[in-house]
Formats: sequence, structure tokens, C-alpha cells
Amino acid sequence: MQSVERAYAEKRMAEKEADAELVRLAQRGDERAFQALVVKYQRRIARHVARYVKRANDVEEVVQDAFMRAYRGLASYRGDASFYSWLYRIASNAAFSFLKKNAGEMPVADERSDEGFEPGVTDEQTPERVLLARQIGEAVERAMARLQPELAEALVLFEVEGKSYKEIAEMLGTPIGTVRTRIFRAREFIARRLEPVLGPARDRRW
Amino acid sequence: MSLRVSLLLDAELETAEVKPALDEVASDAGLRDRYTLYGLAGDALRGNPTPDDGFSIRIFERMKREGVKIEPGYDPLKD
Repeated sequence: MQSVERAYAEKRMAEKEADAELVRLAQRGDERAFQALVVKYQRRIARHVARYVKRANDVEEVVQDAFMRAYRGLASYRGDASFYSWLYRIASNAAFSFLKKNAGEMPVADERSDEGFEPGVTDEQTPERVLLARQIGEAVERAMARLQPELAEALVLFEVEGKSYKEIAEMLGTPIGTVRTRIFRAREFIARRLEPVLGPARDRRW
Repeated sequence: MSLRVSLLLDAELETAEVKPALDEVASDAGLRDRYTLYGLAGDALRGNPTPDDGFSIRIFERMKREGVKIEPGYDPLKD
């Protein structure tokens, strides 16, 4: 029991410390560090906001508001929670402010669970964007099916199961360096297959 | 270097390695693209395959346009 508690405590600590150096650099005025955090979390934050705000343009505005509030308030972030948890709460506040400000003027999305929520699809999504999202999903699925099983396993444990590198190393009985390499190789395999799908939009990415 | 991009994304670099990795990523569009694609792959695996489509860039542009700065004393959780 003690080891379970210790493992849980280590996991909580790892979550809190994740992104710590990027956040510290951003707090010292390194805009690139903050940009790296934006690129990392913008999709998750947009998905969260889209539970409350229906129009795609409004979702984007609220997400922008949330990241701007976060940047303005970076000095107040003390690392008591993970950076993502902090950002998530800021995004909730930004969404509620938006709804209050625009009460009666706009349709509001029902609060939905992730189940049944089609990501990124709101009433103003263009068919092209919906198609591209579908193509991305299919390309990733196809790549995973062709990936060496040990690479796919490591990536799924990290990205889907939320395990840390250390936990994955313990589960698979491999050195942590092997986990690093497997996750990287899996991503690279997928990235090469995403490039032709995303090609024309390359210049609109970070 | 792409391995370091993967580790940067996962917050698995040693503290002293983060800034040099960030310097390289910031000065190399190919590495920035890798950072974006690796992140997209992860989100897609979690059922969120939304393309960036300039979304991040527009956030940075608005921040620049509005001159957003870090404000000591401002708490976004109370806003």
C-alpha cells in the first residue's frame, strides 16, 4: 500500500513539475517558452471551451482571451497545480465571462461530456476543416496500425494512458532511454505520414 | 535534435537542457513543425485530430497587437 501511495505521490509531483522549466522561462520574459506552451495546449483548451461556446469564431476568441489572461498572470502562477490545470481554470473563467457578456445574443453549447463530442466541430466549421480533421485521424490510425508494436505500445501508454516515462520503463522492463527512443520513433513515423495530409497548411503552423 | 523536440514536448528534458532546446526550436522551422506534428499526433490519439490551421499563430499575433505583458499582481483566476 505504501508503494502505491508513493507512486501516486510521485505521479502528482511529476504532473505538477511538468512544464516547470518552460513556465519559469516564460515568467522571465521568454516569449518562445510561452509559445511552446500555447502550441502544446491550444487544442485541449479549445476542446474544453467548445463545451460551453458554440460558434467556432467565438471559441477561438475565448481561447485567445484565455492565453492572454494566462500570460498577463504568469507571475501569479506558483506551481501549486500543474500549468495545464491552471490554464484550464483560466479558460473556464474566460468562457463564462464571454457567455455573461454575450447573454441573449448567441447560442450556447450544452455542457457536454467528451463522449459524443466531435472535436473541433461546431456550427461554423467549414466542410474542408471537418474533412481535414477526419483525414488526420485516419492517417494517425493507419500509421499506428503499421507501427512496430513496441513503439506503438510506448506511445499509447504515454499519450492515451497518461503514464510517465518512468512508469512506462517500469511496466515494460526497459531502461528509460529506450522509452524515450521508442516514443520519439513512433512520433516520427506518424509525423512523416501526417506531412502529406497537412502539406498546404504548413506555412500556417508555428 | 528531433528526439530533444519530443522530450521538450513531454517535459522530459533536464532543466538545463530546456533553454538550449528552445533556442534550437525557435530558430528552426523544421523543428517547430516537428513539435507541432508530435503534439497533433498525441491529440489525435486522444480523439482530438483538429488541425492547427493558424490557430496558434493568431494567438501570438493578437498578443503582439494588443501588447500583452506579464502584469505582477494580476491573478487570472480572479478575473
